[in-house]
Amino acid sequence: MTWTCDQIEAQLSDYLEGLLQAQDRAAFEAHVETCPECAPLLASVRSLISELQSMEEVEAPPRLVYSILDKTLGPRETVTGWQAFRKFLVGLASPKFAYGAASVMATLIILLSASGISLRKPKLADLHPANVYRNVDRQAHLGYAHFVRSVSDWRVVYEIQSRLRQDQNDLQVAPEENAPKSEPDKRDDHTHVQPKQQNRANELARQVELLAAQCPVVLGRSYR
Amino acid sequence: MRRHSRRIFNVCYRFVGNRTEAEDISQEVFLRVYRTLGSYRSAHGGFATWMTSVTRNLLIDHYRRTKRDRQTDSLDDAMPVVENKESAGRRPDQLALVNELGGQVQSALTRLSPELREAVILRDLQQLEYAEIQQVLAVPEGTVKSRINRGRIELAKILQQMGVRPS
Repeated sequence: MTWTCDQIEAQLSDYLEGLLQAQDRAAFEAHVETCPECAPLLASVRSLISELQSMEEVEAPPRLVYSILDKTLGPRETVTGWQAFRKFLVGLASPKFAYGAASVMATLIILLSASGISLRKPKLADLHPANVYRNVDRQAHLGYAHFVRSVSDWRVVYEIQSRLRQDQNDLQVAPEENAPKSEPDKRDDHTHVQPKQQNRANELARQVELLAAQCPVVLGRSYR
Repeated sequence: MRRHSRRIFNVCYRFVGNRTEAEDISQEVFLRVYRTLGSYRSAHGGFATWMTSVTRNLLIDHYRRTKRDRQTDSLDDAMPVVENKESAGRRPDQLALVNELGGQVQSALTRLSPELREAVILRDLQQLEYAEIQQVLAVPEGTVKSRINRGRIELAKILQQMGVRPS
């Protein structure tokens, strides 16, 4: 089937966008190859589409957004002089500003404390870089030492607790094993203590005192 | 807001070929959208498509209103275009050539009939799908395709008459 020039014009965009069936595509190409009018038309439309699609966006005027806002939401209020100052003061009293100021102050206090600057007796010499460095270094070492000591103390405390728990379990299990065999009627008599249990309790008390002596911070240094 | 305003401004500028008028119409579009926001239904398409539809209606109104006052199109009317993409990487002579070609294509666009012009702008400049253009123009898909095809051919012929051959 041979296509006419009118048919070619009508199907030009479909051909360029790849929407033609294989048979129509073949007929289209067969006509264009031999037609002196349709071939340049196809070439110029193809390059036109390429040119249009690569055309850059025009930059909108910067004032456009403000003009639109003015038109839709109304013109913005411009305050000057005392009104502007009052508005500024009202803004300072807002919770948002207060929270922000409090956060900044807290951060400053933490930083100053960490750098070893005394807030009660501030000195100009504290701000000297060498002094700041020395104070920060000292605080870091003191903090690290305190942390190590705390960890050590808590480890001792946990050790005491675990030993106490273990011995309590031993004390509870021992009577239950002995009572039913010999004297079932004296099962609840707590005043009667076996010599073996008494020795264990004494040993436990000694261990607690020993461990408490190793733990001066947590137990208030009373065992020194 | 900024993205929408830029897109709408571009549609308007490509249609009217004048920055001041495009800016005024863009403002009108947003005012119309703001006032008629309640009539927007998502079933009628995306918000951007709806905005484009409002823009198209205002552009047609503007075209009809200014028809009497309009003089015959002239290349001299083309406003200088501020291009922003890839401009930095081009040599001044290349940039001038691109801007010149862009200005000539823009000038040729304004010589098209409004029906063909809007179809070409939406398809080739805004790169909308056929279904979206169909919603914006409120015409069947066959008509959309036909207008785009005719618009491209007409535009290519106008450029040939102007002695411009896009490469």
